[in-house]
Amino acid sequence: MIAYTLSAGLLFGLYFSLAALGLNLVFGVMRLINLAHGDFLMLGAFLAYGLYTVAGLNPLYAIPAEVVVFMFAGVILYYAVVPRLLASHNPEMLSFILLFGLSQIIEALAVIAFGNDERAIPSTIYGSRPVSLFGQTFPVAWVVSAAVSALALLAVYLYLHHSRLGYATRAVMASRDEAAGTGINVHRVSAIALGVGLALAATAGAFSAFMLGSIGPDMGIHITTVSFAVIVIGSLGNPLGTVLGGLVYGLGLMFMETYHPSWADLLPFVLLIVILLIRPSGLLGQRVRLA
Amino acid sequence: MPRGVWFSVGVVLLFVVLPFVYGNHDLLFSMMMYLVLAQGINVLFGFTGYLPFGYVGFFGAGAYGMSLAILLLHFPPFAALIAGAAAAVLVALVLAPLLRLSGAYFAIASLAASEVLYYVISNPHLTSITQGPYGINLAAVYDSSASYAVMVAVLALALGMVVYLRNSRTGLALQAIREEPVSAGFAGVNVVRERTRAWLMSAALAGLAGGAYAWHVSVFYPKPVFDLNISVFAIVFTLFGGVATLSGPVVGTLLLYGLYNWIGISQPQYFQLVFGVVIVALVLFLPNGLVSLLRRVGANVP
Amino acid sequence: MSLSSVSRLWLFAGAVLLMTLVTGIPSRAAGIPGEIRIGTLYADSGPFATSSKSQLQGLKFWVDEVNRAGGAYVRAYHRRIPVKLITYNDRSSTTTAATLYNQLITQDHVNILAADFGSVLTSVAVPIAQEHRMLLFDQTGTGATFFSTKNPYIVLTSLPSSAEWPYSLADFLKSQPQITRAALLYATNDFTGSQAQTLRQRLHGSHVKLVFDHGVPTSTSSYALLLHNVQAARPQALIEFGYPNNDIAFLHDLQASGMKFNMVFTIFPGQLFALMESSVGPKTLAYTYTYPTPPLLVYNRVNYGPGLDNFRRAFRSAGGKEPNFLNIAGYNTGLVIQKTLATAASLQQLAMRRSIVSFSGKLHTLNGTFRIDPATGAQTGETLPVGQFIPAGKGLAVRMLYPPEVATGRPVYPAQ
Repeated sequence: MIAYTLSAGLLFGLYFSLAALGLNLVFGVMRLINLAHGDFLMLGAFLAYGLYTVAGLNPLYAIPAEVVVFMFAGVILYYAVVPRLLASHNPEMLSFILLFGLSQIIEALAVIAFGNDERAIPSTIYGSRPVSLFGQTFPVAWVVSAAVSALALLAVYLYLHHSRLGYATRAVMASRDEAAGTGINVHRVSAIALGVGLALAATAGAFSAFMLGSIGPDMGIHITTVSFAVIVIGSLGNPLGTVLGGLVYGLGLMFMETYHPSWADLLPFVLLIVILLIRPSGLLGQRVRLA
Repeated sequence: MPRGVWFSVGVVLLFVVLPFVYGNHDLLFSMMMYLVLAQGINVLFGFTGYLPFGYVGFFGAGAYGMSLAILLLHFPPFAALIAGAAAAVLVALVLAPLLRLSGAYFAIASLAASEVLYYVISNPHLTSITQGPYGINLAAVYDSSASYAVMVAVLALALGMVVYLRNSRTGLALQAIREEPVSAGFAGVNVVRERTRAWLMSAALAGLAGGAYAWHVSVFYPKPVFDLNISVFAIVFTLFGGVATLSGPVVGTLLLYGLYNWIGISQPQYFQLVFGVVIVALVLFLPNGLVSLLRRVGANVP
Repeated sequence: MSLSSVSRLWLFAGAVLLMTLVTGIPSRAAGIPGEIRIGTLYADSGPFATSSKSQLQGLKFWVDEVNRAGGAYVRAYHRRIPVKLITYNDRSSTTTAATLYNQLITQDHVNILAADFGSVLTSVAVPIAQEHRMLLFDQTGTGATFFSTKNPYIVLTSLPSSAEWPYSLADFLKSQPQITRAALLYATNDFTGSQAQTLRQRLHGSHVKLVFDHGVPTSTSSYALLLHNVQAARPQALIEFGYPNNDIAFLHDLQASGMKFNMVFTIFPGQLFALMESSVGPKTLAYTYTYPTPPLLVYNRVNYGPGLDNFRRAFRSAGGKEPNFLNIAGYNTGLVIQKTLATAASLQQLAMRRSIVSFSGKLHTLNGTFRIDPATGAQTGETLPVGQFIPAGKGLAVRMLYPPEVATGRPVYPAQ
């Protein structure tokens, strides 16, 4: 039983790392919390669902479409509102409220477009025979989702540490002003970071039907909160910390669901509050500002 | 006479008179409930800059505090209502450390706190105490006119609280903190104490509203009294009208909740869209709400 | 502040309020009414939307049918009077529903008030109807707390109170000597929680031991890990009580896990067969057990309204779709209303309730026997049997197993 829970926790941990990574990347670059993060993940889920129902394609095929569509969406969103907000007298709070409004709009449009029923992609789409892993058997869809998550995390690592744009992105994360001083086009770097952030969320969305049970237009706010908990555990603004946060959360969730299932829903919220109050810097990294 | 008293009396009288000419008392009741919650958000956000996303947690705490005082302790309804408010204030005291967090972190942490409260209260293992997910039944004390009257009184209290804040030293101190916390501290304002006071006042209002609501509907499940949409509505109404004013949340609630019930009856799916667009438009074009427009044209609004 | 600005705002606020609130107060016609107004709510979105819309569709079908015949016969006026259905959308929210029930009673002055689908959305209507002395036609709100001897203003038209649902399931399990270990997995809400409670009580002291007994939140959408826990308890029978979303997720995850149990029971394949079959596939449903309801279950002793086959034909030609159970439940509400109007001496609410008691037990529709407890208004006539899905050709057929008087065969046990 413990072996099963541990390995399931690892699979889910990888997945939650991917689900939260985009939120942290955006936070790191812009110092704002994308309250619509979960809603973009939901849109990604519906895109994959659409491809499945229309063309019978499994969610792996949705990934290229997700990346292209949401990269664009992120860049457009950035230039439409962010520079204007950063110039206002209270950018943190105003952008927070604005993104909250955006999240309401996305959810409403999704309800109008897709209806409010819960939907699912059958997890037998990759074959109905379970996969054996670490001596335990798991649904294939879990293993595929976790593998995609691991690859995406690796790609983000390579991007941040082994590409010119990645160096610039990390410079902006360290200090927006200093980066601008060294001649980095901060707006361009930030816009791309928002695009990458949304693309990561949407990619995670493609597999949410397997990992979160079902998809519906109202799933966004819960995912935003869970993702926020994951990045707070890891540490805000540190994309690699997110992987640690995701694993801690995934393992915690699986242990709760195995041994105290009726209390499992409390986990992300309790973790979030406790870490914010006791160790706001997360398990890795520096302190965030406090009032 | 302090500014805003006549306005408040007018609003309260409106809800005393309307039941005699308009039959859907539940709609009037919900309208008052949102007026109270919007003013509660106003007390905290308008005067301290803290935006409590999880404000509904206090509402739910009030509803459950009231109900459990009746079911377990056999309180009479009025005493139970006080117990409901006390429960909300108690929750606020426990959560007071959240005020150490800044803006957006506070907002999300308070949301998480209301979810914690919901999952604890609705947990099946606590069924013998809270009725768990199976909900509350107060049919034995159901009294729609008395609970309506109580909500009118709570509304009067909420408006009175904002009138007080706008005319007292506490209110001025709070606004100073909101604008410049550091220099307010230097000027001898006890930042932590004043802020905590606004937090507790705001929680008490939501607790009273929740208690009155529980009494009025008398049969409810945990989900509806911890529904995040209650926070969302109250926040949007307040922002729309204009924060840190008396009339802003009132105008915002009457207009938007009126619209909600008007559209809501035939085309509800478009309502959330309207809300979202209103929020985005406000942030981009009118950060101080509708009432600031009236001010701009020279009206002296409370 | 100046008085002029006060009065300006005052006028503004008052005007807005009046504008939005007063949606027209219809005048009450004296003498013979031109129409019988029936008010009800439905949910276009949210967790109850699927069921609620089906139920409304059934009721609407009845309204159209009656109006084509020139209206419903109203004994109080000795003539046929057209029926007008007034509906509002509550979006599955109880707060909205409370306001809208009130709207139907106080602003639309409906003659007959029918509740939305299910216990949650019915719960708020119960005190409101009682306060306004309106008889609530409760369609599928089966919560046991709604019914008491103190409140005459409610009558349950379809389905027994949820606590009674598992009676035959418990008896069936006890009649199977080879089943000694059972697992119970249920969603913690009124509807399924009370069923779990009944099953637990009824199995207590029998040879069937509950080796696993666990409640999960109604929002649960992943059962994979729970199934792992169930398997560790090695049950022969696995009973899952949930709402449609739970049942779909459960059956999905059961299929994906590759686990096999000798007997698996779920509620909603018996009520929303088409939805469940398209969501999880016939292969997953094969050999599972359920409570079959019409149209899977056919009542032959119909003395009021069409039989199942005729209804099915008419419903298909009107909407192009196979009727599901909730369509039939909504239609059945219409039949009960029709019978009430035809027998009540006046349209006064308690007179209607008295007439319902008078025909209770004598009305046999395609939904079974309509019989209420005269003291509380709860439904006692319709019982839920136990059946099993058996592969037949490309699809599935239902084999009735219990109680013995309706049985059409023996269970396939263990499941293949």
